[in-house]
Amino acid sequence: MRIQFIVNGRQVERETNAETRLLDLLREDLHLTGTKEGCGEGECGACTVLLDGRAVNSCLVLAPQVDGKEVLTIEGLAPLSKSHSRHSTGRAKGDELHPIQQAFVEKGAVQCGFCTPGFIMSTYALLEENPSPNDEEILSALEGNLCRCTGYTKIIEAVRYAAKLMREER
Amino acid sequence: MGQQYLKVNSIEELLVNLDKPGAMVLCGGTDLVVKMRSGLLSPELLLDISDLPELREIRNIGSKIEIGAAVTQSELLASEIVRERLPLLITVLSQLGCVQIRNRGTLGGNLVNASPAADSAVPLLLFDAEVILTGSQGERRLAVKDFFRGPGKTALSNGEFLRAVLIPLPNPKLSPFFHKIGRRKALTIAIASLGALLHVEGDLIHEVRLAAGSVAPTPIRLRRVEERANGKRVTASLIEEARKLARQSVSPIDDIRASADYRRTVIADLVAHLFEGVLHV
Repeated sequence: MRIQFIVNGRQVERETNAETRLLDLLREDLHLTGTKEGCGEGECGACTVLLDGRAVNSCLVLAPQVDGKEVLTIEGLAPLSKSHSRHSTGRAKGDELHPIQQAFVEKGAVQCGFCTPGFIMSTYALLEENPSPNDEEILSALEGNLCRCTGYTKIIEAVRYAAKLMREER
Repeated sequence: MGQQYLKVNSIEELLVNLDKPGAMVLCGGTDLVVKMRSGLLSPELLLDISDLPELREIRNIGSKIEIGAAVTQSELLASEIVRERLPLLITVLSQLGCVQIRNRGTLGGNLVNASPAADSAVPLLLFDAEVILTGSQGERRLAVKDFFRGPGKTALSNGEFLRAVLIPLPNPKLSPFFHKIGRRKALTIAIASLGALLHVEGDLIHEVRLAAGSVAPTPIRLRRVEERANGKRVTASLIEEARKLARQSVSPIDDIRASADYRRTVIADLVAHLFEGVLHV
């Protein structure tokens, strides 16, 4: 079946079927390989993307289900930064970072990096809804994402810092 | 090849297709997609109801709230009337899965999946909620307690689907209690869970309703404990009796998460803990 949807602001049309997950569609068809497959059953959050503005596990969404909807992946984040034009000067296209990405880098919240896109997308969903979350709200927003390297402390720090960066941008 | 997919646009379209061989309703997919990929289920025709407007409403009808089958857990958590009138449901849903799961998962799906550990079944049993089942022959209502027939088994007939859950608004004097025992806080399948609605004055129990998950083939009410405690004062001997009755009321199994005996002990302790809380206010 043919589906149409928006991914990272761009309208796309693809032939797909009910055996394909949104995760497969993004990675295999659209080559958006920033979204990772961890457990494949909704436990780890590595495949988190935003579907119509809400964080979802793309391994649990069937491709046909996104027909007519809007998907945001880690690749679409940097252009959404309000200071995008400022940050991007001096950087090659594709190297710009969203403040959340910048915060994860600066705070050392990335080790092997496999879980990072999922964490960043969950953080983005949180900060869009709640620009000044407390620690409890941060933990609750990230409870569906697992990291086996960092011990989470640096990730929480990065989220606090990202919130600050984004408030300053507004 | 493989399974077909259809996003249904009306209840009529759903009913016509539900009669076809191998047809199955798909909504949030948080259980179904996992089961399909592991080979536990292989539907031939997936009928996606997740965008069906008639199933996406929360309606206040007199003294009841009707929740459409495709309303997500996140939408329920954000609903003003649910927050105001069904605080127990809020407590339970905020501990179910994680943000990503709650953004897709639905109350209807959690019931139809009929896991003995279904978190949302516990508050629905306590509310004496009903499910509204729709088929080509019409509609019927069934108490949630009669909807579950065993692990993964429900009272749904062929060609029938769960359209909505109907919840009588509980007396606001009933305070909510929910405690889930699991390996971690988020994304845990309960080893045992206890929910309660409790109206006490001092140490006098005006009314208590108790329901437990993961300790029997289906989530259950602990009626014998309720009958023993209703109208009584909380005393050490009442707590001990409640503990014993709770142990006898459940029929858990050994599985990868815990042993049957552990579950019996945990549910008895949770019941005791609830009543001890009354004494320590």
